[in-house]
Amino acid sequence: MNELKVVGHSSERVDSLEKITGAANYVDDLNFGPELLYAYLVESPCAHAEIRKINTAKAERVPGVVKVLTGKDFPLSFGLYMQDRYVLAQDRVRFVGEQVAAVVARDPKIAKRAAALVEVTYKELPPVLNQMDALKKDAPLLHPGLKAYKHVPWFFPKGDTNIAHWRKTRKGDTEKGFKQADFVFEDVYTVPRYAHCAIEVHGAVGLYDASGRLTVWTASQSPYTQRNVFAEALSPLGISHKDVRVITPYVGGGFGGKAGVSMEILGAAFATKFKGKPVKVMWNRAQEFYNTYQRQGVEAHLKVGMKRDGRITAVEHLLYWDAGAYVEYGANVVNAVGLSATGPYKVDNIKIDSLCIYTNLPPGGPYRGFGYSEFCFGMESHLTRIAKKLRMDPIEIRLKNAIKGGDTLAYGAHMNPNGLSKAIEEVSKEIGWGKKEQSSDPDKVIGKSFACFWKAPAMPPNASSSAFIKFNEDASLNIMVSGMEIGQGLLTSMAQIASEILTVPVSKIRVETPDTDRNPYEWQTVGSHVTWGCGNAVKKAAIDCREQILDLVHRTLHLERESLYLEDEAVKSRTKPGWELPLKNFVIPGIQAEDFTFKGGPIMGRGVFMPEFTSAISDPETSQGGHPNVHYTTGASGLTLEIDRRTGRMKVLKVVLAADVGKAINPDLIRGQVVGGMLQGLATVLYEDMRFDAKGRMLNPNFTDYKIPTVMDAPVETKTIIIEVPQPDGPYGARGVGEHTMIPAAPLIANAIEDALGVRITSMPITAEKVVAALKKEGKL
Amino acid sequence: MPIATEFEYFAPASVRETVGLLSKFKDKARLLAGGTDLIVQLKEDVSKPQALVDIKRIAPLGGIKVQGKFLRLGALATFTELIESTVIKSKYPILWEAARTVASPGVRNRATVAGNICSAVPSLDSAPALLVYEAVVVIEGPKGSRQIPFASFITGPRRTVLAKDELVTAILLPQPGKHCGAYVKLGRYAGEDLAQAGVAVLADAKGAIRAAFCALAPAPLRSAKIEALLSCKKCDAAVMAQACALLERELAPISDIRSSKEYRLHMAGVMLERGLKAACSRLKGEGPDYGKHLI
Repeated sequence: MNELKVVGHSSERVDSLEKITGAANYVDDLNFGPELLYAYLVESPCAHAEIRKINTAKAERVPGVVKVLTGKDFPLSFGLYMQDRYVLAQDRVRFVGEQVAAVVARDPKIAKRAAALVEVTYKELPPVLNQMDALKKDAPLLHPGLKAYKHVPWFFPKGDTNIAHWRKTRKGDTEKGFKQADFVFEDVYTVPRYAHCAIEVHGAVGLYDASGRLTVWTASQSPYTQRNVFAEALSPLGISHKDVRVITPYVGGGFGGKAGVSMEILGAAFATKFKGKPVKVMWNRAQEFYNTYQRQGVEAHLKVGMKRDGRITAVEHLLYWDAGAYVEYGANVVNAVGLSATGPYKVDNIKIDSLCIYTNLPPGGPYRGFGYSEFCFGMESHLTRIAKKLRMDPIEIRLKNAIKGGDTLAYGAHMNPNGLSKAIEEVSKEIGWGKKEQSSDPDKVIGKSFACFWKAPAMPPNASSSAFIKFNEDASLNIMVSGMEIGQGLLTSMAQIASEILTVPVSKIRVETPDTDRNPYEWQTVGSHVTWGCGNAVKKAAIDCREQILDLVHRTLHLERESLYLEDEAVKSRTKPGWELPLKNFVIPGIQAEDFTFKGGPIMGRGVFMPEFTSAISDPETSQGGHPNVHYTTGASGLTLEIDRRTGRMKVLKVVLAADVGKAINPDLIRGQVVGGMLQGLATVLYEDMRFDAKGRMLNPNFTDYKIPTVMDAPVETKTIIIEVPQPDGPYGARGVGEHTMIPAAPLIANAIEDALGVRITSMPITAEKVVAALKKEGKL
Repeated sequence: MPIATEFEYFAPASVRETVGLLSKFKDKARLLAGGTDLIVQLKEDVSKPQALVDIKRIAPLGGIKVQGKFLRLGALATFTELIESTVIKSKYPILWEAARTVASPGVRNRATVAGNICSAVPSLDSAPALLVYEAVVVIEGPKGSRQIPFASFITGPRRTVLAKDELVTAILLPQPGKHCGAYVKLGRYAGEDLAQAGVAVLADAKGAIRAAFCALAPAPLRSAKIEALLSCKKCDAAVMAQACALLERELAPISDIRSSKEYRLHMAGVMLERGLKAACSRLKGEGPDYGKHLI
């Protein structure tokens, strides 16, 4: 391959000026004119109840109110992987804050006032607020109709229980494996729920026009998936896919929270009742916490067997997920973990059970890391603890078991090429492993820690990406994709890939956020897969353009086809030095032939990428036989933590993260992911702490009491190490890295605390207060 | 979120006019100065007043200036004004240190110290400093003006001695002698947070100690017993152990979503010790600069 000129270099973000100056538009910035209607929700105060009666008469009489909508107006269910969710509650509510009715008015204040006048009569049912309680024999059934729900073929709901899905993975013989072990270690790790806390809240504006066209403006990671879910859910109203258009401007943070469809269904469905008038639904910060998706809590029972030489002989991982009231998306998190909860290690004997359990808490769903952070807390804590018991170096244990390209995965397929061992070695060096550090302050101690990570995108087997590239008269380009810019810099990396092939500089390329009428299909921007999937589509579209260009030059100017190539925005020939034809001369007008006619015409390319080797169908009892994951991104990380042993307060002095990204399309953007992702991960372990009262009401749906870090809480130093073992099917060898950067944060903190203070904490979050409590319990304070 | 409550808006030009409005609307009126608490309460329907009385245009309520033997903080003086005041920084460094821990710069630009004490929340950051400086609160009502020590201004969580037709017009700070001190605050992270515990320590040149606390009892408090124990002594481990034992009796922290009472009490001891240490070394011209986090 020739030396890369654009890919692999840190191009400036194409959207930087717009964002820095505040010119970038988000859903709430868009202007919809004086006809705009506003919806305000009536929400359930009960975690579990039957709806007996809804009286809307008083609210309807308020001047300015256009209509009050209830579940009767929308007898519709929806859901991405399982249709278990409703536009507005039907006969039952299943969490505090669930949408029961909506007042639509000409002014947001009027809508809010009238919403307070809607009278709902509930018959309270006993709530189930914990996944372990939900499994008890006498537990109330949250979804009596579970058996009849439509779902994807790789889910296995257990009718007449609260288990919405149970992913079982079996490989080898764990009993035998534990017998071979010199040491078997078991413990339970608990991880609570978390919120994404994107700075932009969710919002949707729907407009159903006189022609039957439904346009929905959303803050979303998934415009096409939204179009599909809207069209399917609203099909009883006579709406089909061709009628639905989703426009998604810039998004102020996604982190998984804006994947799929949550509250956006309201904007789409409500609009159908007000032909010609746009209807706006914007969440407030509290709703953003309790009625979008939450990261699911888990209780993980982990058993690992190991030989004295550090070889893992068997892993049993039993994970009970608190999936909340509706699991249409969250069940796939449970599924993903059920396939991968060994971590990035070669293990011959595996038994994983990952159970998706309904509770009367807010719906669980996707969150950066998609379940991997949660099981990684246990697994990476566990390995360090075993190393200590066996008096081995925790890094040596990881190196010994690190998975290699070609190794057999838990579900029988083979691991992709990867640089995990190199990542482990590089982090070990950078963090100064083995060198004890001491604070000059006698109250402070310093600990070091290590953790590995891996993650695969969790996608349906036919998740695809596509791209169009259009040339303009001046040989500038418009690239149309529906991969979303959610802060990661997708627009820039797509421009870089097209620029590399077409030799048009990034500054002459415009890539914008999608409108499904204009931009071609993308499944979703989730799973750290768009650089890979969408990047492949853009690369193919660029090659398509290039081939059209070279074909045209060849057939009109009779130059040898094989000699032609692109350089500096022109066609050149290896056999005719000095000759060149600038792209701008012909990419729209065509090339004039000797007879004065014109050949060619506008150059536009298309590219489609579908991972054609994947399959989600496997034996439900063992998960053997399918190929559900396209590839895993692996890596390692280390951390130096200073702890005040009298207050428990912690400061991250240094964190190092090495990820095998295959190929860094834009190294600066990867460094951005590491700084941001690691801080988000550290927040989940050090500060964020979601609380519910005994009736299932969230106590801290605000930033007063749900703490996300400020710049003052950032690690003193964050170091990124980029490893590049190419992904054979990736654009220039690239694979994803967005989510991975937060996955190892929790075990890094837990392991560092044990290193410094000799106490082990097995439940998140790990606050200063919890450290002091642990020290006092051990008589160390 | 829209403010759905409908209310009448007044912008009186004088204190007298304000008192008239308060007399008319009683507890159906809310005063607006910084609005950093009030606007949030309005948006969340926690407060549904009939009248909003905006006192920002009453010029005599502003400013920080010397008045006789006192430094007068007008009711409209914001935390940012306090932090930027050279008099506060040089003469009342503990108050300066505490002010810098209140909320965030954006909030401090609007939030007033008087509004802060009127909220009377247990976690009031300005309270421990005002207690050790023996501040006096100036109150105006229909019967004229009265002054009461800040120590008796707050009567319980979110309760003060203010009658429904009264307002705070100023806070007076007596001239302190040569002293140093510290305000130590416990939050959940380094960013803005409500105090889970707050300790102010004042040490004068003769070795006398004053100590006051917030978020460790239903109302901020100053402890004479702690002061008696610590004054004019070398604060070694034995004395600190005694102080910690005494704190258990003097303080009454609660467990809530922000912290447990056990951790609050544990931290009160550590914070008192570190505050004392900083105060004493600052007296000697050593020790950390004011504003540096001590925990």
